[in-house]
Amino acid sequence: MSQNSTNKQNRNERAERDESADPTADGMDIQTDVSGSVAASAGGSPTRETVVSAKHISVWYGDDQALSDITMDIPERSVTAMVGPSGCGKSTFLRCINRMNDLIDSARVEGDLYLRGKNVYDDDVDPVALRRRVGMVFQKPNPFPKSIYDNVTYGLKIQDKGGDYDEIVEESLKRAALWDEVKDQLGESGLELSGGQQQRLCIARAIAPDPEVLLMDEPASALDPVATSQIEDLIEELAEDYTVVIVTHNMQQAARISDQTAVFLTGGELVEFDDTQKIFENPESQRVEDYITGKFG
Amino acid sequence: MAAETDTGAIEDFGQVSRTVGTVFRYLLLAATMFGIVMLAVLLLYVANDAIRPLTADPGWYLAFFLALVAPTGIAGWAVRRRDPAALTFGTFLVGMLVVSLMFSGGVALLVIDVVPPLVALAFAIGLAVPIGATVGLTRYAHRISFTLRLAATTAVFYLSLFGLPGPIGDAVGAPPIVPSLVALVQSVPVIPVDWMMVAAVVGGGSAAAIGTYVASVGDGSAGLYAAGVALAASAAAGAAGPLVGVDSVPAVVITAVALVPTTAYAWRGGFTEEGSPLGLVFAATVVVGALVGAAAVDVLGFAGPQSWVDWGFLTSAHSGTAENAGLYPAIGGSILLMTTVAALSFPVGVGAAVYLEEYAGDNALTRFVDVNISNLAGVPSVVYGLLGLGVFVTYLGRSAGTVLVGGATLALLILPIVIISAREAIRSVPSDMRQASYGMGATRWQTVKNVVLPEAFPGILTGTILALGRAIGETAPLIMIGAPNVVFNLPTALGSKVSAMPLQVYAWSSLFASEDFYTKAVPAGVVVLLAVLLAMNSVAIVLRNKFERTQ
Repeated sequence: MSQNSTNKQNRNERAERDESADPTADGMDIQTDVSGSVAASAGGSPTRETVVSAKHISVWYGDDQALSDITMDIPERSVTAMVGPSGCGKSTFLRCINRMNDLIDSARVEGDLYLRGKNVYDDDVDPVALRRRVGMVFQKPNPFPKSIYDNVTYGLKIQDKGGDYDEIVEESLKRAALWDEVKDQLGESGLELSGGQQQRLCIARAIAPDPEVLLMDEPASALDPVATSQIEDLIEELAEDYTVVIVTHNMQQAARISDQTAVFLTGGELVEFDDTQKIFENPESQRVEDYITGKFG
Repeated sequence: MAAETDTGAIEDFGQVSRTVGTVFRYLLLAATMFGIVMLAVLLLYVANDAIRPLTADPGWYLAFFLALVAPTGIAGWAVRRRDPAALTFGTFLVGMLVVSLMFSGGVALLVIDVVPPLVALAFAIGLAVPIGATVGLTRYAHRISFTLRLAATTAVFYLSLFGLPGPIGDAVGAPPIVPSLVALVQSVPVIPVDWMMVAAVVGGGSAAAIGTYVASVGDGSAGLYAAGVALAASAAAGAAGPLVGVDSVPAVVITAVALVPTTAYAWRGGFTEEGSPLGLVFAATVVVGALVGAAAVDVLGFAGPQSWVDWGFLTSAHSGTAENAGLYPAIGGSILLMTTVAALSFPVGVGAAVYLEEYAGDNALTRFVDVNISNLAGVPSVVYGLLGLGVFVTYLGRSAGTVLVGGATLALLILPIVIISAREAIRSVPSDMRQASYGMGATRWQTVKNVVLPEAFPGILTGTILALGRAIGETAPLIMIGAPNVVFNLPTALGSKVSAMPLQVYAWSSLFASEDFYTKAVPAGVVVLLAVLLAMNSVAIVLRNKFERTQ
């Protein structure tokens, strides 16, 4: 009974938002939530510099709004998780960071997104150059039908990076916790590995060119529990060197591995962004609490 | 109700009628079989006329039954019981031998009667040197700017093929200063024997392919070793051929094009871990059986079928009498036409497909092009013939009926099919892989070059070969562009008059219409044409199967 009423309440809230013609009023509403949480996270980890800073990002696919007015700061060398129900725009936000949305004809992005102080949506920013500094791991393991070695060196080759490839391959595979399993079969196709191994190969491929930020779009959702836990351990280790932003469906996963959590809810709004512990133990918003405790979503 | 709940069992479920479904199913089967059966009947009829199996001595059949059919059946059954995959491999090996022997016949025709070995060698060297230089530049000097590399590559190609000042100099009347590499090779005072040059060109090409293949399944040094062995085998065949009564040049070609690749495949399938020697046993039974059978009928004097498709038919030109008429110039013409068509339609078609799939946005122009490519694929071939006549002969002033004009017209004809099938192949590359590439910071060109094209290549090749299969059977466009009905010599240049197999068959059935030609030359020509077509399509099918397996 209580679940029903909460749902109804939420729907009403959303309907009100949609009806409100004035976008600033809509923005203000969220703003109060977000500004508080940003301050809290900055206070919680004062030594960490902000790497990615989104200011009023909105995204449309054709006429459908996928994200509305997202503002958040992502600190360096930490794991930032984005959780929320399907279609809430968390993957869309992830793709805003490296401008993968540019590849979709109908997508339109408004607002500013700063990577180390530079607005990546400025006219003089080459999205290809941006993606070379922001690595990405996708939901479904997608190694190229090339050898394991060529998969890992792909980024180095296309980015025309020099260096000792053998060493970089070994280093990257070690960091991706895959080296011991594949060191004797580097010449074999990446597609011959198991799903979990393929995903770790994709992670090795993403970190080989040494990006500043690593984006992960539900990297464990297609994997079995054992492979998932390997990937999770790996993400925590990677956060020592990289800024990791991860989208996940799985609440427990976000709670286990992330330092900050952003909760997106239907309609493409960022409802709350704070230290993970706070989000899971004492969220400010009733809707976030309902979502996390499984009352809806 | 009560009874059921008491016992817990249902006594009768009743029956659901399936009469309509059954009738429908067999109607569908009939529809499926209709076309196939009709075609099979026609083919059997033609083959019966052309090969005349009933004219053979019963002893001939008995000999081949005992030497070939029975052992093959027994070996096939035994191998299949132990390992069905080995039987597939063995059958495939035999098929590969037959098809590659046919292809080696085509290549032999080219090097014997079309391209003089010295010219072939000169162009092979003239192309290999700049290609090697380009690959070297791209691989080891990628720090140099792209413009500089492009300039260097162009210069090397120009020097190697044309010399200085080359065609540009000829146009303004400047005297040649530096001869091209091609001219240089041809002016060497000491010319090696023909078969050595053929061994260098054909054997070299075959060795390079074998080396790459072995390197891809084994390791690099094995590839080098295999390439060396392949080249040595081709050369040895040239030296040893005359000792066993085969001319040196055909011996080299057969070894390089048929025997070496088949051996490489047999080695891979029979002696590596995943392979099985049982398949080799089956293949050996078939090959040895065929040889023993042939030797036996020869010794015992049993006459084979009085086939119209015989060595004479394949190697002589048209003649006034059906018994002496042959298809040789038409076979050569078809091969040259297909080479031209492939060289013209493949790059243009694949280029258009890549543009439409990877670059063009979804706008009015793209949709317009889209619809019209589909329409063009359906335009009757005679209309393309008219287009070729109008554009190439009347407007551009090329002489009618030449290899170049015929090839260009047929290339236009199959271009829409090549584009459509190449687009299909490109579209089947998972978008995950493109995303992965773009996500790594690859440009569109890098993604196309490194991910999309390598993945789509087998599919593109399959589509192109099937399209060539359509072009090889076309008659109407060739008539329209004025290809002569009868040619007595093989064309030796792009500007020579050309005939083709379907055109020759058409000429026999129209210009020389007589009982004799109808019943002898025409069916024989059709059988040869279909055999070539099947050989080409079998390559396409093998490529497609390989492609599907790796998906």
